[in-house]
Amino acid sequence: MDWNSFISNGNFLPWLIPVGPLLAFLIITLLTNRSKWIPATSEEYGGSHPDYGGMLVPVVTDTSRVVSVVVGLIGILFAWIVSLIVVAHAFAIDHLGENVIASSGTWFDTGVTAFKMGILVDPLTTIMLIMVPLACTCIFIYSVGYMAHDPRQSRFFSLIALFAGAMLTLVVADNLLLLFVGWEVMGLCSYMLIGFWFEKESAYKAAIKAFTTTRVADVIMLLGIAYLYASTGTLSFRDILHNQATLTALAHSPAILFGGLGWSAASLIGIFLVVGTIGKSAQFPLHVWLPDAMEGPTPVSAMIHAAAMVSAGVYMIIRMYPLLSAGGDPGAGILSPPMVLMSVVGAFTALFAATIAVAQNDIKKVLAYSTISQLGFMVSALGIGAYIAAAFHLITHAFFKALLFMASGSVIHGMEHGEHHVHEHHAHAHGHDELAAAHDQHPAMSEAHVEAVEAVTGEEPAAAIGDESGEGHPAEPTAHVEPHAEQPTKVGPVFDPQDMFNMGGLRKTMPVTFYTFLLGGLSLAGFPLITAGFWSKDEILGDAWHGTLLGFGASALVFIFLAVAAFLTAFYTMRQIGLTFWGDARTEEAKHASLGKGIVAVTMTLPLIILAFFAVVAGFVGVSPQFPILGSIFSSGGFSPFEHFVGATLLTEPEAVPFNVFPVLVSFAVSLGGLYAGYLLYWRKPLVAGEVDPMVNMLGPVYPILKNKYYVDELYIRVFVKPSQWFAANVAYQFIDKGIIDGFLSLIARVFTWIGDLLKNLNLWLIDGVGDGVPEAIGKFGGWIRWLQSGEIQQYMLYVAIAALVIGIIFALTTGVLHAAP
Amino acid sequence: MVPLYMYLLVAAGMFCIGVYGVLARRNAVAILMSVELMLSAVNINLIAFWRYGAPTLIAGQVFAAFVFVIAAAEASVGLAIIISIYRTRRSVTVEDVNLLKG
Amino acid sequence: MTIFGTIDVLSFLVFAPAIGALIVLLLPQNKWLARWVALAFAAILCGVSVAVFFAYNHAVPDYQFVIQTKWFDLLGSSWHIGIDGISATMILLTGLLTPLAVLVSFEVEDRVNAHMALILFFATGLFGVFVAMDLMVFFLFYELSLVPMYFIIDQWGGPNRKYASTKFFIYSMGGSLGMLLATQLIGFTAHTFDIQQLTTIWPAFNGANGTFLGIPIETVKGLAFAGFFVAFCIKVPVWPFHTWLPDAHSEAPTAGSMLLAGVMLKLGAYGFLRLVIPLFPDVWISQISIFGLSISVAGLFAVLAVLGIVLGAFAAFGQTDIKRLVAYSSVNHMGFVALGLAVAALAYAQSYFKVAGIDPQTAILAMNGAVFQMFNHGLSSAGMFLLAGAVYHKTHTRDMTQYGGFWVKAPIYGGIFIFTSMASLGLPGLNGFVSEFLVVRGAWPVFTVLTLIAMIGLLFTGGYILKGIRAVLHGPFNMHWRDYHLEIDLREFVAIAPLMVLMLVTGLAPNWILSVINASVTRIFGG
Repeated sequence: MDWNSFISNGNFLPWLIPVGPLLAFLIITLLTNRSKWIPATSEEYGGSHPDYGGMLVPVVTDTSRVVSVVVGLIGILFAWIVSLIVVAHAFAIDHLGENVIASSGTWFDTGVTAFKMGILVDPLTTIMLIMVPLACTCIFIYSVGYMAHDPRQSRFFSLIALFAGAMLTLVVADNLLLLFVGWEVMGLCSYMLIGFWFEKESAYKAAIKAFTTTRVADVIMLLGIAYLYASTGTLSFRDILHNQATLTALAHSPAILFGGLGWSAASLIGIFLVVGTIGKSAQFPLHVWLPDAMEGPTPVSAMIHAAAMVSAGVYMIIRMYPLLSAGGDPGAGILSPPMVLMSVVGAFTALFAATIAVAQNDIKKVLAYSTISQLGFMVSALGIGAYIAAAFHLITHAFFKALLFMASGSVIHGMEHGEHHVHEHHAHAHGHDELAAAHDQHPAMSEAHVEAVEAVTGEEPAAAIGDESGEGHPAEPTAHVEPHAEQPTKVGPVFDPQDMFNMGGLRKTMPVTFYTFLLGGLSLAGFPLITAGFWSKDEILGDAWHGTLLGFGASALVFIFLAVAAFLTAFYTMRQIGLTFWGDARTEEAKHASLGKGIVAVTMTLPLIILAFFAVVAGFVGVSPQFPILGSIFSSGGFSPFEHFVGATLLTEPEAVPFNVFPVLVSFAVSLGGLYAGYLLYWRKPLVAGEVDPMVNMLGPVYPILKNKYYVDELYIRVFVKPSQWFAANVAYQFIDKGIIDGFLSLIARVFTWIGDLLKNLNLWLIDGVGDGVPEAIGKFGGWIRWLQSGEIQQYMLYVAIAALVIGIIFALTTGVLHAAP
Repeated sequence: MVPLYMYLLVAAGMFCIGVYGVLARRNAVAILMSVELMLSAVNINLIAFWRYGAPTLIAGQVFAAFVFVIAAAEASVGLAIIISIYRTRRSVTVEDVNLLKG
Repeated sequence: MTIFGTIDVLSFLVFAPAIGALIVLLLPQNKWLARWVALAFAAILCGVSVAVFFAYNHAVPDYQFVIQTKWFDLLGSSWHIGIDGISATMILLTGLLTPLAVLVSFEVEDRVNAHMALILFFATGLFGVFVAMDLMVFFLFYELSLVPMYFIIDQWGGPNRKYASTKFFIYSMGGSLGMLLATQLIGFTAHTFDIQQLTTIWPAFNGANGTFLGIPIETVKGLAFAGFFVAFCIKVPVWPFHTWLPDAHSEAPTAGSMLLAGVMLKLGAYGFLRLVIPLFPDVWISQISIFGLSISVAGLFAVLAVLGIVLGAFAAFGQTDIKRLVAYSSVNHMGFVALGLAVAALAYAQSYFKVAGIDPQTAILAMNGAVFQMFNHGLSSAGMFLLAGAVYHKTHTRDMTQYGGFWVKAPIYGGIFIFTSMASLGLPGLNGFVSEFLVVRGAWPVFTVLTLIAMIGLLFTGGYILKGIRAVLHGPFNMHWRDYHLEIDLREFVAIAPLMVLMLVTGLAPNWILSVINASVTRIFGG
């Protein structure tokens, strides 16, 4: 096939979407990631990293920093442009749900058939292609400024490029296996990026925790994929999901396992796949990795939470919805087991995470828990059959959550800037050693951060983060690590630039960040009518209420849980905005917090503005047509554009839920009520420095529980992590291998050695008696005939002559030759 | 015509002289010469038996020719050994060469 | 196919390394010369094996390049060699790893000629096994491969090498003993050692009215099976015959570990699929009773495989010695090979007796996965041992608790280490994933519960891999190594680069090799 036909054929174009970032990854990794070696004490290396007593460390050169950034940006822009072309192409197709853009080729042979791998652009992919590259591009631009002083910026760009490439691969995949490839590569990237500042214990532990926790789910999901492949002989979305016969067959064949539960094959596969999402999208009980993932640089948080990883989990279940719902009929209140699982887990997680978010002080942790909660909204929505609503919320949430994360990153960056300023001021005023100036200017949380957070509330420090890595030796051999005497001397308590109680009044010095954060926050809180979050959340509640009216238990449960969670969401959002931006600065650092000027400030605010725009307007595509006034403006023709478009992905387009005023009122009430409650506590009379969080008094004994996230981490460490470490080191290795197997072998060896010894002793008296006697006799005989061999040749010949004579005589006498001759 | 036994007597005499020479002489060259004498005796026997026993066949002469060749080869090898021994030991007396002594 | 005009290419592959070894051994005691001559020989071998692999036409999925010459008429054994797609894959793997092992063992300073000669000689044994179509030839080279490896461990190994090499040798010889008896028994009864003929003769062999030398034929076959089974289980290694492996791998010099894990373990798996599966269909499906539980022999094999996967992963997770960790990862990964083989064995037996059972497609996928996993494990474990050896060579300790934060001083090494670790972990997009997926897919409908349990092993594969990365690269830098050179050497980089390229290419487009495997596997199952 020649290049022109490749380009002109729309079916092949989606292949190019992931190519840009992936190529950027390869180019940066192999070519442009060049470092120079400078002493670690140098300012250029960044103060938050250990200085290793001036050991030479690699720092990316200025040229390769610029080139890598440019390559990364070109890569993602290329993906974005191609995506836009594909999207335009897709919009131009009538009935895209039927006439999808697809192309595939053989990936490997399987017997006489072959496994095909390819791309698919249907309506669901199309909306993802609108959201993902856009969000990724914003994140890339933002990273230019955010990582501008990092000694390893090239590595960062190569990794986020791979991350974006993997996400785009996942989105355009036409089969579950390729989706899984993107899924796992993203897992790797998140692992690498969370542990990006790998010197820090908290960072690498969080990375390991994230990877391990999601892997728990991934291996189950792999089983689901294998099971699906075994049952249908294909993994292609179109072949399975767009084929009623296959779905029906799966729904009617009994499951291969757990037969007693009466599940169908489709149910078991579905449950396996949903478990995958529970891990990837951080649903209870596998949510623990996500808050810790905040250890990574902020663009990573945005990437993980908004554009890519957690969205991937929800995207996958939306994609597999026909299979998950096979055997059930959500319209009639009959839910298949995977849907029950989704609705229960999702609803519970939504509320559970929202309660935790209320009591967090770290600006990014609040957002992390809010993400978990919002993902719970989507999962539970899908669980009750609200397919469109789940997809809708996925898109809107991606926009405002990316915005919020990046805005919070700006806040942290500003706070560090302020901190730097304060320290310099100190250094000048009091003549402190200049090392202090370099300390902690970097957006890394210092290791003492946990204590700092806890110190504010006076609670016991949480027992750190789960060390899933399974250190066989909990005590790090610090004896080998020379004490970090070279580290900058700490002046006073460690300052935490992420703690909201250190902030306050930031609206004055960081106005752009404030207004964009406000818009994002309101969207998250579902501020009525004008924000995207309202419309998508309202649609979920509407669907749930519709089911409740029909008397479906699951829908009622989801409705109640989500309504309460939405209230809490609005509340903690207001709390966050109030603590961060309102009132007066509670610390010196906050007073001087700013983004500064130049490229850093521009690249860190431009994406916020773009995303803020989408955080508001993205909702209008999904307004219910029967909504008073607005419905007729945005959704003419009896259906909302989003619903009609995305619904076509399914075999039978889901019916629009009839408009009901009650859930809308509930949406209004919980959103405004939550915001008002937050306003009362944190806005009307802003907290001043040293004041205790009102939550502490209001919640009383519940507060520490929420603060410590229901002690789930501690539970997991005791129940899973420590026992498996113990089992690995003591049972699997020492007991079974060293003890039993090798013990058995050495027992055999000992028995045989014993038998051998016995035989040896036997030899000594029996066999040696005979054996030694014979050679001795021979030796004596040999000594005796030795004199015959004089070495004189003539003597030998004499023997020969004599022997010949004797033999001749004997011969003559015995045969009578002499007689015969006359 | 001379009868056969006359030839045999001559051959036997030569052979005995040869055996005596081999066993009694101390000079290795003389021993070698004695061996040649023994071979010549054998040759006389072979030719005589051929002439009187089967004069139509060529085998007897062929055997004799073989013996000549072997004798020549043996003499050359023997002489080479003797020269080599002489070079190392400055002697061709066989009693001095008793390395095979057990 | 012939090369250099008249030399049969497979015979060349078998004997050229031995001749090369002899030449290297006889060279003057000059390190430089010995190294480069050995490398040149290994490179030629590599070129020839690559050529053989690509010359093998998988559209005709039968044995190719077959040579049959008189060799040992008295026994009914002949020099009968040839390859199918499975052997071609293994030959490719051996050919690829030999020059890399030679390159890595440039770090050996002591008795270089002998070391290089042993590595080359080792290749003779491996190639011999992979081309053998005659049981005696197979056995001969199978045993031959043991000797050089013993000396490599025993002479150039780590501090505990005497124990490790002796354990390795005794374990292997213990297995070989039964194998020799079984080989002789089969050859004696069938009057031939030709594997293809045996495949039809031996399973149908019924002795004299169901007895052989007065012993019931089931017992005879069971004993012959046990002889092969134990021998190959030790080599693979299948749990619980694996405890020689961590010692041997961790004490062997880097090149030795690479070859040991990269190819030698494959001899066992290869023996299973070439001999034990086709020769003993009746034994595989016979039921045995353990503690009142009735289970087929193939099922028992699958149980052992899964135990290997799970306990291997746990044992690796429990290590603090980096080479031991990598060694146990082999137990874990080869467990997947064994699991795939168990499915294939059961399916083959069912199709032999025409019993309804496993879908042939399932069996084909499982066996594809097993063979492909053999290849992939060869790449990734060799890479892992190379990297573990690289860090050991520089720090002279294998204790991971003494490492820490090396990434800051060795950024390139760090990247390579993570890449290779991820390949070993089975990250999708890299080679190991495809094969593991195929095995899981193949095993799931047959041994469902066992596959579910195996997932625990897959989970802890992640655990130990991350533990390794964390211990070596992450965390605060251990200032003890401040003035050490830790970055990967150019020579090591050159050795691992081809492996990395193959891991990536194979992961992204596995069909360049899977199509070859698939064709032969499909032929075995008559698809």
